This record gives sequence, C-alpha cells and structure tokens, in this order.
Amino acid sequence: MMYQASKTLPYRVEMYRQIKRKRTLFSYLFVISLPVIVALAVKFGTSGKSTGPTRFGSGTADLIGLATNGAANFTATMFYFATPFLLVAVISIFNGDTVASEASWSTLRYLLAAPVPRIRLLVQKLKVSLTLSGIGIILLSATSWAVGTITFGLAPLQTPLGATFHNGVAISRLFIVAIYLSISLLAVAGLAFYLSVATDVPLGAVGGAIGIMILSNILDAITGLGAIRNWLPTHYSFSWFDAMAPSIDWTAMIRGASYSLILFFILISLAMVKFAKKDVTS
Amino acid sequence: MAMKSRASVIVLIALVASFSTFSANADSSRIIDLRLSGANQIEIDATLYIPAKVPAPAILLAHGFGGDKSSVKPQAVELQKAGYVVLAWTARGFGKSSGEISMNSPTGEVADTRKLIDYLSTRAEVEQQKKGDPLIGITGDSYGGAISLLTAGYDPRIDAVAADITWNNLVRAFFPQNSDDQSQTGPYKRIWAGTFFAIATLQNALLGDCGTFTKQWCAAFKRAVATGTPTPSEIELMNLSSPSSVADKISAPTLLMQGEADSLFTLAESTATAQAIVRAHPQTPISLIWHGGGHDGGLDESQRLWAATRDWFDIYLKKENKVFPKFQITNTNGSISLTDSSVIPKFMVSDQLPFQSSSLSIPLTTPFIAVVAPIGGIPGAISSLPGLGSAISLAGGAAAFLPGQSGFLESGPLTKPISIVGGSRVRVKVTSNSSDATLFFSLVVRTASGQTKQPNGIVSPTHLTNLKSAGSEFTITLPSVVVDAQVGDKLAVAVSSTDQGFSMPQDGRMYTVSVISPLTVPVLKFKSQIKRSTFFVWPISAGIVLIFSILFAYIRRPRHSNAPRDQSDALVAVTNLSKVYKDGYQAVSDISFHVERGQVLGLLGPNGAGKTTILRMIMGLIFPTNGEISIDGKPIYPGSPTLANLGSFVEGAGFLPHLSGRENLHLYWKSIGRTDEPFFDEAVAITDLGTALDKKVRSYSQGMRQRLAIAQAMLGLPDLLVLDEPTNGLDPQQIKAMREVLKNYAKTGRTVIVSSHLLSEVEQTCTHVVLMHRGKLVAFGPMKQILAGKGKPAANLEEIFISLIGNDLTIGKEVG
Repeated sequence: MMYQASKTLPYRVEMYRQIKRKRTLFSYLFVISLPVIVALAVKFGTSGKSTGPTRFGSGTADLIGLATNGAANFTATMFYFATPFLLVAVISIFNGDTVASEASWSTLRYLLAAPVPRIRLLVQKLKVSLTLSGIGIILLSATSWAVGTITFGLAPLQTPLGATFHNGVAISRLFIVAIYLSISLLAVAGLAFYLSVATDVPLGAVGGAIGIMILSNILDAITGLGAIRNWLPTHYSFSWFDAMAPSIDWTAMIRGASYSLILFFILISLAMVKFAKKDVTS
Repeated sequence: MAMKSRASVIVLIALVASFSTFSANADSSRIIDLRLSGANQIEIDATLYIPAKVPAPAILLAHGFGGDKSSVKPQAVELQKAGYVVLAWTARGFGKSSGEISMNSPTGEVADTRKLIDYLSTRAEVEQQKKGDPLIGITGDSYGGAISLLTAGYDPRIDAVAADITWNNLVRAFFPQNSDDQSQTGPYKRIWAGTFFAIATLQNALLGDCGTFTKQWCAAFKRAVATGTPTPSEIELMNLSSPSSVADKISAPTLLMQGEADSLFTLAESTATAQAIVRAHPQTPISLIWHGGGHDGGLDESQRLWAATRDWFDIYLKKENKVFPKFQITNTNGSISLTDSSVIPKFMVSDQLPFQSSSLSIPLTTPFIAVVAPIGGIPGAISSLPGLGSAISLAGGAAAFLPGQSGFLESGPLTKPISIVGGSRVRVKVTSNSSDATLFFSLVVRTASGQTKQPNGIVSPTHLTNLKSAGSEFTITLPSVVVDAQVGDKLAVAVSSTDQGFSMPQDGRMYTVSVISPLTVPVLKFKSQIKRSTFFVWPISAGIVLIFSILFAYIRRPRHSNAPRDQSDALVAVTNLSKVYKDGYQAVSDISFHVERGQVLGLLGPNGAGKTTILRMIMGLIFPTNGEISIDGKPIYPGSPTLANLGSFVEGAGFLPHLSGRENLHLYWKSIGRTDEPFFDEAVAITDLGTALDKKVRSYSQGMRQRLAIAQAMLGLPDLLVLDEPTNGLDPQQIKAMREVLKNYAKTGRTVIVSSHLLSEVEQTCTHVVLMHRGKLVAFGPMKQILAGKGKPAANLEEIFISLIGNDLTIGKEVG
C-alpha cells in the first residue's frame, strides 16, 4: 500500500474535475457576453459617440458616456458594470459551489474516506476555485479590450474628470484596477467558500453569497448608516475608481484590499475549522 | 486702554438671571440670553453659553452677513460642549440689535466687540489672565470672520483667532485689480456687491433703499453702481473696515480659512492676511486652510472646519498638545463617488504657506490672441454666479468663454503632472483701440480630449489704463486655485473681454494680448493628509489577521493520536463505540466487535439500527461520541493514513455526473494519493458496464451507478472493503454475481464488511455476523454459531433475529 497524503486530490485533477463542468463554461460565457452585448448595443443603438461635455467640479461620473472612446475606456466601463454583480456572481459560483456540489453528488465522502485529509481537500479546492475566479477576471479584461478594440478602436483612456492616459499608462491603470478587483473580491470568495462548507446545497452557498453582497450594496447606499457602512464587505468595491484619478490615491484601495483580505482570512479559517470538525453525513 | 469705559459696562437686562454662586464640580452648563451695551449707546442682543466646567476660556462667536446670533447656535453649542464659554451676539444693524451697519468699522462694530470683551472680563465663569483681560478667542465666517480679524488687530486681549471665508481688503474684494499697476482700482464686482448689499436692505423694505446701512456706506454703494469707481474717501472707508489695515497688529495665533468655491472673497484674501501677519510678527502661529466651500457653495466642510477651529482654540487657549498643519487644502480635483456622484475630496497638507512656495516656469507657446468687447457688453461671459458657483459646471462651460471674446495663451502639452496651489503670474503686453482695457484672466487646464477646466469659475479681473498705442506690459496675477494637471494636458491663460459679474466698458473695445514671459506657477511641497497610517495599519492588520486565522485553525483543529491501540491480530476492532448526533439522536450505543482478516462480516439490522452510522465512523466521516475504532491496530480518524487501506461504498454512489464512468474511476484513483497498482481491469470487470463506461454518469441507472461505485471501492484492491447495502437496486443475476465477488475477495485474505437489512442475503455471503437493533449490539459471532442459537438450531437468521428482538421495529432511540 503506497499512500501519500500530499498526493491526494492534486491541483491538476481538481482543475480537470471543475473545468469540465457546464457551470464553468456558462460562467465564462456569462462574463464574455457582457462586453459583447454592451458593444453591440452601443454600436447599433440610437446613441452615438459621446460628445457632451464632462462636468468639472460638479462631480458627475460619466464613465458610461465615455465607453465608446476606445478599448481602454470600454474596458474601464466593463469593470464598472461588472463590479457590483457580474463578478460577484461568477466568483460566488466558483467558490460557493465547489465543496457543496461534492456533497450534493455524494463524492465528498469518498474523497474524504480515500482519505484526502480535510484541510488538504479545502486547500486544493480553494486553489482551483480562486484560479477559476482569476481566469474570470482575466477573461473579462481581455474580452473587453478585444471587443473594445474591434468596435471602437484604440484610443487613450479618458476619465470622467478629464484626465487622459496614453497607451502605457492606460494599460497600467487598467491592470491596477484588475488586480484591485481580484483582491477586493476575495471577501466574496471567502464568504462563498465558507457557505459552501457550511451547507450541502450548492445553490444555498452561491445564492447566499450573492444575496449577502447585494444586501451589503443596498445598505451601503443608505447614507444614514454613517460610518457603519465602512465595515460592509462591498464598501470599497468601487475604490478602484481612484486608479482613474490623475494621481492615484491609494488610501481607499489599500483599505479596501486589506479589509477584503482580512475577511477572506477569517472566513477561510472558520471554514477550515468547521470542516475539520464536521460530521460528514451527506 | 480705557479702563474707565470698561468698568462702565452695564448689563442692561439679563433675561435669565445668572447664578451668583456655582461650584466647580456641579454641572453649570446653561444658556443665558442677554442685552449688552455696545459702543455709542448701541444695544447688542447676545447669548452666553456656559459650559459644564468653569472657569473656562471664552470664545466670541460672530455671525455672517444677514444673520444674527441664532445663526451660530449649532457651533456655539458645540463649543460649549467642548468646554468653552461662548458669547454669540447679533452685530449692529441686524436682528434685535440696534444701530446701523458700518461694515465692521473700528468705531462701529469693532468698538461693540471690544465692549463684549469688557463684559466677559466681568464674568466669573470666564478664565481671567489678569484683571480685565479674559482668556478669549474670536471666530466667525465671512462678515464674522472680518470682525474677528479686525477685533484681534484693535484689541490685544484677543488670544486666538479663527476666521473663515472673509476679506483681507474690501477694495480688492469689490474692485479687484490683478495687474501690477495698482494706480487704478479694478472692475466693480457688481453682481456680488449688489447681492451683498441687498441682504441687508431687504431685511425690511420699510427701512428704505439703504436698509440699516449707514449713510456713508449707502452712498458709496450708490456711487459704485453708477460709476464703477470708488472715490478716495470711499477707498479710505473700505480700508478702515478691512483686516489689511490692522493685520500687522495681530499677534494672536491666527487660523485663516478660505473657500476654493468663492468668487466673492477669493483664496488670495487669506494669503494677503497671512502674509501681513507673518511679516509683522514672524513668531505668531499662523495656519491656513483652503477648503472646498465658499460663498459660491462648493463642498460643505463646515463640520471639519468647526473641528479645526476647536482644535485651534484647544491649542492656543487651553494649551492642549495637538498637531495642527501649517497649510491644509482640499483637492476636489480627485475622485468621484460612483454611488452618489459626489466629489470625494482629498485632503493635503503642507509645511509651507502659499506665499512661501517656490515657482516653476512654463513657457506659453501661443504668441498672442485678439478679443473683442462688444458694444454694450452684451453678450457677456458668465464665469460664476453668487451662491451657485462655477458657471462652467452649470452650463457645461458654454457661458464661460464666448467666441471672439476669449482666447487662450497655451503652454505645450505637459511632460509631467503638476499640482498648482495658489496664484500663478504671467507678463503680457496688451493693446487696445482705446487707452484702457478691462480684461478677465484665469488659469485653465485644457485636456488632451479638448475639455477646458476653469477651477471653480474664478477669474482675475484687471482694469488696465494709460495704454500706449503700441501696447503696454503688465504682470497679471491669476486667480489662486487648487488644480491638478496631467501629462498631456496644457496649461493656459484664458483671457476674456467680458464677464457679466463685473462692470465693463460699454462702448466696445478690441484688444490683443501677447505673451511676454513664461507662466510662473507656484509649487508647494504637499503630502496627502489622509492618515499615512492607512498605508501600513491596514496591511499590517491584514497580516495579523492572517496569523491569527492560521493560529485559530491550528488550535481549533481536531487532534488525533496515531499511537497503535490493539495488539490483537484483528483487522478491525470496534470498542465501546457510541454516536449521538448533534440533534440528540443516539444512533449507536456502546458497540464492540472485531473483524479478522479473510472474514466477510455482515452488519445486520432493520433500517435505522445504526449500521450506516458505524460504517461512516469506520470511514472517518463522522466522529464517535465515545469509544474508538482501529484498523490494523491503528486508530481511525478523518484523514488517517490507515484509511488508504479501505475501500468503501456507503449510502449510494457518488460520481461527478458530467464525466464518464471511466473518467470518474481514473480521477478517483488519481485523487486518493495511492501510487501502487490500481487494478483497473479487475474493477471494470465488476461494473459489467461495457461501452456504457464511456458515457456520462448522469445517464446511468441506479444499478449501473451502484456497480460503478463498488468497482471504485475495489480500486487498488484494499485490504478492507466496506459495503453498505451493496445489492440494493441490482437484479437477481447481478446479486448472485456480487455474492461471488465478495466471497472471492475475502478468499485472497482481504476482509469485507457488508451491511444489509436483508437477512437472507447476508446469510448466503457472510462468515460472521453483527446483529444490531436500535443502535445496540444484539448478537455478534460466526454465522454458524449464531445460527446454532441458544441450543435450538434455527432454520435461518430471520428466525434468530425475531427471537432476539421480537417484533419491535422502533428505530434507534432518543437520548435525554
């Protein structure tokens, strides 16, 4: 009998198990469809290229109006559209479904009896679900850029505040946004993963995570809640907008990224403790 | 100073009597309405706010133009809570105070305020430095800011000043002249002056066109409207009401706040006051705040400014140890909230005051521009409107720069970003078809995308006279602004021949403006005021949470001993095993049995007897409440390496539905960490699936899944095979085949544990039996021995079972 715990559920095997799923395919189609649909709507819609003046000092964020400027602006607008729901949904699917679906297929108990040590199982699953999430963000960026280039051509990135960034700077700013989004969505990933361990129903984990994020967004819009809102998981989800400012103010992004990591660490450690002590009956 | 007049202070009426005695311990906080005597027999309506703890330093709190003592109540209450005696009063000519408005003249409002200081020196609640000299600060906005500065200039008893959005010089505020030739006053700021004047006269129409203004001021206003130019005596009048006349006498620590959205009293007013104070008293503590608000509206930062004012008094009246930056600015050029589209201001601080900045020269590449001032001044540009702010933000910029009436002296595209804080300067040559020129200069940023940003719609008006026909050169001071420009943006001096906010020549003009010098922009060293701590506190917190999360997971992990338990040669030993589920259901109680190599053990009992629970515990899926299990002498726990020796099929098959049976088997083998021979062919033979093996498991029948699951359990031929109801869903032939498989498996020296509720089924397969009922062991032993029974041999297991438990089919039992 040759058994090594470190060889159980290898990354490549888990990746293969997940990537062959329809859910993965549809999630990615979901991501890709956003820029395509928006590009088609703008291209063949009634409103043409935005020519209206951008207000200065009055604070109107006309990011959408700028979307047709070129690939860079289109990509930034797609990030703006995807931040509150699409990316939250996709990341909740990947991280919320991963353990709960094993439970629902009854495969979980055979993996555990193999035995795949419980913490290792979570670590391997998390590695794969985070990879899939990252691929989602890369896909969104790459597709948006490609669709934007095809539809509107290449042009400098123009921000609603009137700043203009040329190629290299524009790409670096969008890169910062993508990195920030990836980190700030870790809180969502952590929550979905925790719920995935806590329930045997994949829909419960995914829907629960999305629901909590929507609730957090709603609460965040109630200004009357004051400083309490600073502790909502979605409070900093748009802080990447600071990377669109002429000189980047990192404060909110550092806070947001750190807070997301804090939530992620807490939720993952809770998930691990819960799973390690759980009676697996499903 | 005239001690006599101070001593003659009379409290006319105290609406609420003050207590003659008070103790330092008791909460003495209260609000007293008073009527005090001002200068020249004027009655001043006032309110005294007394804090909980007295004696305390006092603060004179002045109101803005058109307000009265009640307009400052919120701030008064806040300062009272912060432990200050606050005296809020209504200035003469307003509200319930008598007298006429003389725009903070030394003999009018300033004299009144000094009487108020006299009064405070008689109040026991006010901390006194020496007789007649209370510890006192003064603060106010706009009109109240000017009285604060003027009183501090005239009365050395003032110990700290904080003035917001006020003027340094009224002449410059209403007749701004931004050229270096100061021999003439600038264009009359007619819309603002009219608005300002109206605030006082419209209080009560019955008072007539002059309202409560003094005759002198009313006449000055009338003349300004008619001629656009003040007389020397009017200039003198305005100078007397201007802090510029006494700024060199201010020695009290002074906080100057000014709004960026203020076309009435521009940022340059605060710079001028600060500069005068520093020049006369270099040791006097001075701080400046340029905030996002002002008379044009802008950002409401009143809470922050109140806090700053409080801090200022805490430092200089209460001698508290607080850090106060030299110069703070609010940059509204930063980011925008996507939730409500509001500007998210950035707060910056500098150790330098604006007039201490170094400068940067930026060449202007546009050589010259020509503009026309239309006859009658119509149409005319609108740069900003009182109370509404920058016109560029109101009308999309269309009104700020009219074609033919405006031009831009542009720089080349910037090669590095620049933050401009303060007033830039440029030298230009101006020609006119007359001997004078009225021009409105501003600093604008033109982005690569063609937008023109004129910060807050602030312009620098100039009235240039004695122009030579070939043109004359002037140095123009551009508006003090807070603006950022990016790489690729161009800076430009915008020149406009019209601005409806100001008086202009009505007979038509044609001007040219050519560039003589590069643009000189102020450069200050700034740092973001936002707590730098964010940069390490948050990431460090995240790091600490990571460490604690790891520690938490490590400490709270279940611990298992790997020490060998059983010295017997039993493969599986179950000792005193109990399981109570979380919901209180006791599935197994105190069960012990052992299985030796080569045996086929049948775990028998009706549904709910606890069979599956025992198997789950053997697989390490659930934790025993009591007792333990060992395989091969080693304890079983989740993830224990011994489990690699166990193949299992419990409670139905578990496969990835989106993969084929074959892929499932291969992936499972790759997942279980075993590196020896998988014996795929043997396993596949058991499945009896044929070509269906390459179809997706989703399409399988229950029987197919079951056989695939048993094959999966046998992968790698484990020493122990645990099967739960393996024949469920199989047809009779397959059941028969399964029996042979199990028997043969055991013949190789391996061990099989089978659970079933079908007694006859087990009878034909098993060598040993564990009979269970309601979580308890009923009988355990070799099949033959059990069949032999207690003396009387039985025909089959069923009879034995019924004889042992009767007809009781109750499932399990509840604990407690």
